Amino acid sequence: MSARDKVSIKKLPTGVLGLDEIVGGGLPEFSFNIIAGAPGSGKTTLAHQFVFANATPERPALYFTVLGESAIKMLRYQQQYTFFDPAKLPNSIRFINLSQIVLEKDLGAVLAEIIKEVEKSNPAVVVVDSFRTMVRKPQGSPSEMDLQSFIQQLALFLASWQATTFLIGEYASDELRDNPIFTVADGLFWLSQIAERNSVVRKLQIVKLRGQASVPGLHTFRITDAGLQAFSRTFGLSGHKSKPPSQRRLSIGIPELDKLMGGGIPEGDSVLVTGASGTGKSVLATQFIAEGIRQGEPGIVAVFEERPQAYADRAGSFGLDLETPQKEGTLLILYLRPLDLSVDETMNEILDAVKRIGAKRLVIDSLAGFEMALSPGFREDFRESLYRMIFALTGIGVTILSTVEVDESFTEFPFSTYSISFLTDDIIRLRYVSIDGQLRKILVIIKMRGGDHSQDIREYEITSQGMIVAGERLKNYERLITGIPERVNRFGEKEELPLKSEAKSKS
Amino acid sequence: MVPLKTRDLAQRLLTYETTGDKTSVSTESTVLHVYEKLRYHLCALAGVAGFHSLASRALTLAKTKAPSLSAMQMAADGSLHQLGDAELESDKHQGGEGQVVLVSELLGQLHAFIGEALTLRLLQDAWPNAVFDDCDSRDGEKHERTR
Repeated sequence: MSARDKVSIKKLPTGVLGLDEIVGGGLPEFSFNIIAGAPGSGKTTLAHQFVFANATPERPALYFTVLGESAIKMLRYQQQYTFFDPAKLPNSIRFINLSQIVLEKDLGAVLAEIIKEVEKSNPAVVVVDSFRTMVRKPQGSPSEMDLQSFIQQLALFLASWQATTFLIGEYASDELRDNPIFTVADGLFWLSQIAERNSVVRKLQIVKLRGQASVPGLHTFRITDAGLQAFSRTFGLSGHKSKPPSQRRLSIGIPELDKLMGGGIPEGDSVLVTGASGTGKSVLATQFIAEGIRQGEPGIVAVFEERPQAYADRAGSFGLDLETPQKEGTLLILYLRPLDLSVDETMNEILDAVKRIGAKRLVIDSLAGFEMALSPGFREDFRESLYRMIFALTGIGVTILSTVEVDESFTEFPFSTYSISFLTDDIIRLRYVSIDGQLRKILVIIKMRGGDHSQDIREYEITSQGMIVAGERLKNYERLITGIPERVNRFGEKEELPLKSEAKSKS
Repeated sequence: MVPLKTRDLAQRLLTYETTGDKTSVSTESTVLHVYEKLRYHLCALAGVAGFHSLASRALTLAKTKAPSLSAMQMAADGSLHQLGDAELESDKHQGGEGQVVLVSELLGQLHAFIGEALTLRLLQDAWPNAVFDDCDSRDGEKHERTR
């Protein structure tokens, strides 16, 4: 069958930020959907958002309430959300209470009442909240077969009236399997909230959706003043064409370091700058961003450990002006300190910012701060989330420089405490070394996926001009990366260094 | 003291039922006409039980303010028993104060739960030909949300 012969299924906006992308562009028109989840998981709010986004006076929404939350109280609370438009009541959205019929009669009477109201209003959207309570009434509870038959008839009737339908029900996750009711539905939305230590993580899963591909997996969502906001696991980039690999090199703003990297960082790479506290990771990151701004490449700095003003002030102390580009809109410093964030939310913020200013460079300072800002439940998935985040961002051509602090050891030379080196294309390692009675700093390029790089170990200093890589490679030392090098002569022989007091007495 | 806003609204509804709606003929039953319209629409929205809980609270409060309502009773479906002749006569002498108090208490209950905008929306649904858009809002400005 050619594409022209196929019926075109209109996709309706869900009214939930981020959810349209997850369901594959919108909810299929005339679909029969079930929203399931535990009490308080956001089922009613999700249905309300859909209703307010789609109801019109010509094709209104009918919202049937059954036993459960009182409609008056529901309206009291739901009107607090910004999507709630009182002007839509009652012409576009009508609330109809069925509890009396449910209590006094059977499912047949409930169906008859729904049919009567639907025929009267010709609605575009129908919601039954909550259909599960119909089977929990104390006396004369219908059997599962009765309920399935009711739902079957309701689905057929509402489809013939071209209504997009939501049934809302309280279900525990273990009820998902082998429940015949779910087989009738075209779409099954599963909402859950999991307490992790002191924080709560909300997740949404599109268990099924007929007619179109949705993004699989569990997606984080948050309930804010604007209602539900969903964060796709693919960060809204599913179907997005990856940018072809670039041959361009981006200057870090430290000429000698650019040389060590074969001309700079390959565009679209993910770079990890790793080192102990005070080795200058943030300074290097700031120079990278400032150099981008200088070359007309907008940038974003995601900070977790200090406030944007403090970050800009510190950059100013190195002669780097981050105030002007912020005012001009070519630089955004995102402060992502609030606790209980999910990686997906953080990513959403960063991606919004990337799109907003057309950012080419991104600094994440630091990964340790990022991890701390996450809800405990997300920390377990940190590596996997980080992988998705970096993959998504570099896929659209953004060059990412992340900093990570490592514990300095004189027996090891770790690149990262997270075992995330595989996520990065390039690694720059900074470390302290003890030379000539001084604690000095060296750097080395550990790896560059995009090509050759210098193997030199170079000394650098943090000055009022930022990081400066000075002098030649340190030829006269061995075991530099241990942090306790030994001086060798030009024949490679170890030199005994006289103590300063001995040298003085000899002279 | 009943808030002026809901009292004014109640007075408008009673006046509308008395003068604006030609089908309403009996002055004595005006309050019941208003009440029944509210009951019909609110039962559809909140269910009989939901309406009953609101209305019984409103009646209790109204009785404390208008003794002429003391004999009034509410049925399980939320409907009111007609005032007795003596109470009606007494209320008439008091300028129909009991009627106004009862309706305004019910509107007050609704207002407390769902706010002014939605209350007016529901009233507009029940009285589609009435005009509510000149009701003073909390900040003293004209209300924009009603027709």
